[in-house]
Amino acid sequence: MLIEVKNLVKEYRNEDVITSVLRGLNFEIKKGEFVSIMGPSGSGKSTLMHILGLLDRPTSGVYKFDGRNTENLDDNELAMMRNEKIGFVFQAFNLLPRTNVLENVKLPLLYSKKKIDAETRAKKVLESVGLGHRLEYFTNQISGGEKQRVAIARALVNEPEIIFADEPTGNLDSKSGIQVMEIFQKLNDAGHTIILVTHETATAEYADRIIKIRDGEIVGDEKVHNKRRGDGNGQLK
Amino acid sequence: MASNKVRTFLTLLGIIIGVTSIMIVFSAGQAVNGLLNSQISSFGTNIVETEVKVPTDKKKSGTSGEISSAVSLSMGTQITTLTLADMDKIDQLDNVIDSYGAILGQNQITFADQRKTITLFGANASFINIDQSKIAEGRFFTDAEDRSLAKVAVIGSKVKTALFGDSDAVGAQVKIGNLKYEVIGVMKERGAAGAGLDFDSYVYLPIRTLQKRVLGINYVLYLVSQLKDPEQSDATAQAITGLLRDSHHITPDIDPATGQATTNKDDFRITTMQEMIKTLSTVTNAMTILLLAIVAISLIVGGVGIMNIMYVIVSERTAEIGLRKAVGARYADIMGQFLTESVLVTFVATIIGVILGVLVSWLISVGATSQGIDWQFGLPFYSFIVAIAFSLLCGIAFGLMPARKAARLDPIVALRNE
Ligand SMILES: Nc1ncnc2c1ncn2[C@@H]1O[C@H](COP(=O)(O)OP(=O)(O)OP(=O)(O)O)[C@@H](O)[C@H]1O
Ligand SMILES: [Mg+2]
Repeated sequence: MLIEVKNLVKEYRNEDVITSVLRGLNFEIKKGEFVSIMGPSGSGKSTLMHILGLLDRPTSGVYKFDGRNTENLDDNELAMMRNEKIGFVFQAFNLLPRTNVLENVKLPLLYSKKKIDAETRAKKVLESVGLGHRLEYFTNQISGGEKQRVAIARALVNEPEIIFADEPTGNLDSKSGIQVMEIFQKLNDAGHTIILVTHETATAEYADRIIKIRDGEIVGDEKVHNKRRGDGNGQLK
Repeated sequence: MASNKVRTFLTLLGIIIGVTSIMIVFSAGQAVNGLLNSQISSFGTNIVETEVKVPTDKKKSGTSGEISSAVSLSMGTQITTLTLADMDKIDQLDNVIDSYGAILGQNQITFADQRKTITLFGANASFINIDQSKIAEGRFFTDAEDRSLAKVAVIGSKVKTALFGDSDAVGAQVKIGNLKYEVIGVMKERGAAGAGLDFDSYVYLPIRTLQKRVLGINYVLYLVSQLKDPEQSDATAQAITGLLRDSHHITPDIDPATGQATTNKDDFRITTMQEMIKTLSTVTNAMTILLLAIVAISLIVGGVGIMNIMYVIVSERTAEIGLRKAVGARYADIMGQFLTESVLVTFVATIIGVILGVLVSWLISVGATSQGIDWQFGLPFYSFIVAIAFSLLCGIAFGLMPARKAARLDPIVALRNE
């Protein structure tokens, strides 16, 4: 089991006001699954993803990642786990400004202990998302869809166990959005575990399974019957 | 971006000015030291000078210090105890090759229809051998002429120009006071020797001629003795002290604390050039250190500027820091990144400061040289090391807090900060 969550609780405490964001979640995600986490705005999707992605810690409950209880890991160990096992794709792309596409994708390798040729690896991943011709472009010189594909390449560059994507299509037009979803689907077909956060049913249905949350509680956890597939216009071969 | 650069440059000004000042202080320190040393060695380094001094009251001594002969003259107390007889005794000392006595006076010199008030410098014939002064034309007076109170004069180069222009001075008759003197020589130009001494404007007379015929006295202002071994100058100074206390009938007070004889009753003061060089370099070094301390404060102010820039950079890059953390940057990675940046920014400022410092130091030396001051341009190697090391230290010290702030940023907060 890649992810095991038991009674996961997250609360924010601001001057005696306690905001309960996650209220006792329980679920498991296997290696190789493509799961959507769906819910309305403010339901706690991003908060959950940050905890699952080891960027944040739960207030209480147990979170086992890859069989390890994350409670016992210190900040540096968490940083190393994020570097080696996790890839993130954010709604706002979060690319480095004044830096070219290639350097952006190489970024995780800068903090990696693995001895791999960063340049070659980053180029290969960029080609796989159809951006082999944009290596030297600066991030302000490419389109939103291309930006998000750069972000996906960056998430993939260190060959992570799992990819988290928080509203990856939120800032894209529908065509670019579909392209991005197709890439995720192909990655999943190739064996990558993918967790997608979204509030749109249409986007959520690219996954095999949808976990629905509302007000910090799971209100549904179902297989997708009519799984969406791209029409093949995606750039991934 | 452009206004960003202006802002960065302005905050870097502190470091730039600080480093520039360090370079100027070091350069000026070296130049002043060189200037003083060259002036001292223009008097010769292997000499001991014995000058008159007003004995200090035992009760007042220690606080008021000793009164120099110049001050005592203006106060109307003239010490008359130092004589050529003392000089003869000093000449008997083993380490002393030869000495000359000197006295100054003022009088009018007349040639043809020109009349000038000049400084008369009376010295023994040995002056020309001991002092650095050289004869340009004619000759200096002899010991025999001195002892016979001969009416001969040697004139300084400026006096020659003023009275004779381009025509011959040697052999001419000039009137000093009411007596006629034969000009037997002209001194080589020497340039300003500091302390207000202008040897080129003097008229040199045999000391006894000046004492007896012009001033009507028989004491001297100071004695200069040339030594065989300058290393032994302290011992020789001791010997002269003993000898003069003996002949001037001085019983020195004993300092109860040290059991040593004190100099407060002495009516003379002995200065070795060795000692003078030491004293002067102590003074210039102290000045340099004091100035550096002030400069260090300005660098610290500059460091606060660096800290300011770094805080701005960190807050502008909050999202970037969050992203780096998300992809696996650890505390030390972020810390290192921002410290490096702080050092880099400081280093750029330092290099600008070093270049400006060298430039300004050079301009000062050019300016001073054009004013006739012997101001050598130069910077000791360690000044570069001190300037660079100190400013980089500032870069690290003042980059530390902003870098720590960056390294401690919660990735969630940083990522939500879009
Ligand atoms: N630092 C915090 N302090 C207090 N409350 C917080 C904090 N961070 C998030 N919250 C609250 O937690 C709740 C869930 O936030 P979260 O970002 O997880 O929602 P979301 O489901 O991702 O919403 P969206 O679809 O709009 O992105 C929100 O009500 C938010 O106000
Ligand atoms: Mg969200």
